[in-house]
Amino acid sequence: MTSDSAVVAHDPSNGVAARAVDLCKNYGTGEAEVHALNSINLEFGRGHFTAVMGPSGSGKSTLMHCMAGLDVPTSGKTFIGEQDVGAMNDNQLTELRRDHVGFIFQSFNLVPTLTAGENIKLPVDLAGGKVDQDWFTLLVDELKIADRLSHRPSELSGGQQQRTAFARALITHPELLFADEPTGNLDSNSSAEMLAFLRRSVTEFHQTIVMVTHDPRGAAFADRVVFLADGQVDGEMLSPTSDAVLERMKSLDH
Amino acid sequence: MWRVTIQGLLAHKLRLALTGLAIVLGVTFVSGTLVLTDTLHNTFSTLFSQVYEHVDLEVRGTAAFTGAYDQTVRNPFPVSVLSAVRQVPGVQVADGGASGDAQYVAKDGKAITTTGAPTIGATFPSDLRLSAMQLIAGTAPRTSSQVAMDEGTATKYGFHVGDRVRILFAGPPQTFTISGIIRFGTANNLAGATIAGFDLSTAQKLFDEVGRLDTIDVIVAPGANVATVQRAVAAVLPKGVEVVTGQTVANETASSIDQGLQFFSTALLIFAFIALFVGAFTIFNTLSILVGQRTRELALLRIVGASRRQIFRSVLLEAFLLGLVASVVGLALGVLTALGLTALLKAFGISLPSGSLVFSIRTVVVALLVGVGVTVLSSIGPARRAIRIPPVAVLASYEGSGGHSMRRRIVGGGTLGVLGVVTLGVGLARHAISVVGVGAVAIFIGLGMIAPLVARPMSQVIGRPLAMALGVSGRLGRENSMRSPRRTAQTASALMVGLALVSTMAVFGASFSKSASSSVNNAVRSDYIISPSSAAQLGFSNATRAAAAAIPGVSAASSIYGGQFVFQTSVSSVIAISPQDLSNNVRLRTVAGSAATALAKGELLIDTTTANNNHLKVGSRIRVTFAETGRTVMTIGAIYQPNALAGSYVVGDGFFHSHFAASTLPVVLLLRTVGGASPAMTAALKTGLQNFPNVKIQTRAQFIKSDQASVNQLLGLVYALLALAILIALIGIVNTLMLSVFERTHEIGLLRAVGMRRRQVKSMIRAEAVILSIFGAIIGIIVGTGLGVALVDSLKEQGLTNIVVPISSMVVFLFIAALLGLVAASWPARRAARLNILGAIAVD
Repeated sequence: MTSDSAVVAHDPSNGVAARAVDLCKNYGTGEAEVHALNSINLEFGRGHFTAVMGPSGSGKSTLMHCMAGLDVPTSGKTFIGEQDVGAMNDNQLTELRRDHVGFIFQSFNLVPTLTAGENIKLPVDLAGGKVDQDWFTLLVDELKIADRLSHRPSELSGGQQQRTAFARALITHPELLFADEPTGNLDSNSSAEMLAFLRRSVTEFHQTIVMVTHDPRGAAFADRVVFLADGQVDGEMLSPTSDAVLERMKSLDH
Repeated sequence: MWRVTIQGLLAHKLRLALTGLAIVLGVTFVSGTLVLTDTLHNTFSTLFSQVYEHVDLEVRGTAAFTGAYDQTVRNPFPVSVLSAVRQVPGVQVADGGASGDAQYVAKDGKAITTTGAPTIGATFPSDLRLSAMQLIAGTAPRTSSQVAMDEGTATKYGFHVGDRVRILFAGPPQTFTISGIIRFGTANNLAGATIAGFDLSTAQKLFDEVGRLDTIDVIVAPGANVATVQRAVAAVLPKGVEVVTGQTVANETASSIDQGLQFFSTALLIFAFIALFVGAFTIFNTLSILVGQRTRELALLRIVGASRRQIFRSVLLEAFLLGLVASVVGLALGVLTALGLTALLKAFGISLPSGSLVFSIRTVVVALLVGVGVTVLSSIGPARRAIRIPPVAVLASYEGSGGHSMRRRIVGGGTLGVLGVVTLGVGLARHAISVVGVGAVAIFIGLGMIAPLVARPMSQVIGRPLAMALGVSGRLGRENSMRSPRRTAQTASALMVGLALVSTMAVFGASFSKSASSSVNNAVRSDYIISPSSAAQLGFSNATRAAAAAIPGVSAASSIYGGQFVFQTSVSSVIAISPQDLSNNVRLRTVAGSAATALAKGELLIDTTTANNNHLKVGSRIRVTFAETGRTVMTIGAIYQPNALAGSYVVGDGFFHSHFAASTLPVVLLLRTVGGASPAMTAALKTGLQNFPNVKIQTRAQFIKSDQASVNQLLGLVYALLALAILIALIGIVNTLMLSVFERTHEIGLLRAVGMRRRQVKSMIRAEAVILSIFGAIIGIIVGTGLGVALVDSLKEQGLTNIVVPISSMVVFLFIAALLGLVAASWPARRAARLNILGAIAVD
């Protein structure tokens, strides 16, 4: 079930959580100019779990960084909800990331000097707000880290660290959660567990997730897979299976 | 390895530049001091060589003894010696001179004072060839009412030939007409001194040397051999008179000024070394962190075959190159500083004979040796840490083994600290400043070693209010400061040293102020204290006492005289008091014997300290020597408690005047008044003493206050000099924070990504800096207070009887330290806030 159109369709039932309009990102100049993103038009449906896939250098991380306001596009626009990310100053971007967007990176998700519990509450503390205790308890119970809260990251396993990072990302009820290879450093058991958590947050809490990955099994947990190649959208797949994704990836890799 | 070293240096340019700055500042201080004192030395020797250029020989009284500050006491000799010398074959010209103290009064009625140089009254020679003085306007003084004035004074105070000028002497003041203006070689005055030239008979009268001479200057006939003539002259001289070459006199004069310069340069060098010592802490810390950050790189070098020795050498070589570059820069800046300071001297009206800056090889050697030496020595620790890195550390999972040497640190640091305390104690007891210095250095290094132990708990406590006030940024700042206790402690150690010294001085100053009032009150009961208006003045006119006593309301006036004599084997100061003074103006608490009786009988009174140190008691007989009258034996007549006015030795005024020249000036005049001190009385004294503008009229309370003020002034100067050390400590803090920010790039990026504002990043870094500074300040203040108390205690016998710890000053220091921490944090904080989030979180 793939489409080759540049504008990728989405399920409009819940609206759009984020979108990219004619998004371009170039690195270097002149001869050495690289088009990391080449006129991307893309929408991420609210309440959906979208996986972004592509070979190394296809621009999938750059896409995510631009969407989240971590990187500045060369041209084009990105929106979170109806907010134009490109029009924001540093403070507005910071607030956007703090209050409306969650992040999980491949590694180094936690501040080493803070305990797991403190790490989870960090975005709320940074905002000077009050932690939603019920939500906090629910998260740490669901993620099975309730007994690890007073530990420092160095005392946690890789899986526990990523789950803590997940709880941290969800604590502010973000409109959108970006996950950049969240299972890249995990063994297969922890990986599967983590992906199951991501899936459940979408199914049970209607969380919107955009996940960059190159793992077909991970992509299979998503509602939709968007393929990137050479900085351009190279089709998508709804209700993916890992085999189908694998096949598709092979064709992208040539 | 050479290539790797150079690359390593280049890779950390900024950090090394900051580290180098600590050395640059220290070396600037050292080389600036050396160049300045060399230049001044050269200037003065040139000056005095010019002054004695034409004088082949000088006849003078032999030195009775050499007193403190190299003041040589020489007795005058009969004028008959002059005619004897003139008859010696080979003597072409011989001319006698008498000299003494002569202080000009400016047109506004104020006495003209110098900044430390003497106010000289001299004989204007009849033969101009003998003259160091050259007339540049007018004529030589020929009558008893004429004076030749030095160009420096004339220019500065607007005097011209023909003007009338009042001059103050040991005797009554007199008014003269300026007959001429003189200069010395190419200088308009004599190294800041003021000169009044009189004809010989006038000088003899003024300086109480009628029929006597201080010197005879001789020019040898053309073709005659100076040495031969010198021997021939020596043969006709009576006992107690000698003949030396003009060059000898020039050298002696220059060397006595050199002594002053030496003191000046030693004082400055002490502060330079304090700055370098603090710099050493900074370098040690920076290099340690850099080695830590390069663990993987160094491990990789080991894997590809570098030996431990090569790694060690590489780190040392890095330090060597850093030290070399910094020292060369410091040397250049030092020369510039010296240039600036000589310009400053000129601005103060001290015109020096033209001479360029003296930049000796020794200055270069000392500056490079000190700069490179300190850097390389400080790098040995980090280099040893570098060679302990195992090749396996190249793996990302390798966690450095830290803290296993804690036990060694406690033992090593503790031992060093205790040794330091003992050394310091010995040094203080013996008043040996260099021993005290060694002790203090040992204490500081020992503390620096132990400090990491308390760094974590102390940071936690200090950071608590910050964490509460600043929320999560404060909490993170606190956590960061607790993260690496060793780094925190090392960074704070530099500040600790600076603040310890500042606190020591604060305790000293406060104790001095407190003691000043009690020690003056315990020594003096007079209502008024009349003293010389300038510290450079030897005293004031003998006539002052009579003038003061004649003022209505003054019930008793006591002139206190001071002089030097040899007590047993050492040159000491002796004070003269009359028995009547005891009942009016002076307090002397005797513990043995009767002071009044002893003073009247011409016996010697000593204080308890002297008595105890020399095992003397009332009735003991000891040998003393006076410059004028030679050796004699004195009996101890009484022993008194330490006394600020009297010092250690007191004699009666009658005895004093029979053993000292009549031209000796009183050093202080004590007045008792009928109604006590009052504004009306003060006004009456001012009017009554207006002929003596070189005295300061103060009530006892005012005297105490000005005493305290002068100490505070000195403290201010010391604080200013210590500021350099504190500046270097701040550079250390900047350095550490920069390195930490660099190290935590990922972490800061993550914080930014999850919603930390730039402002919050900044306050996180600032909180860490403030904790660091307060940590260093607290230890420094505690240690400094201890040192200060020990210092004051050791000076108990010098009159520092009260120990005062100025808590309010300490609190101010703490605040200043916190503020300085904020300042130091500003650059690293900006750097951290500006970090590119993407670059910081990118993994590959």
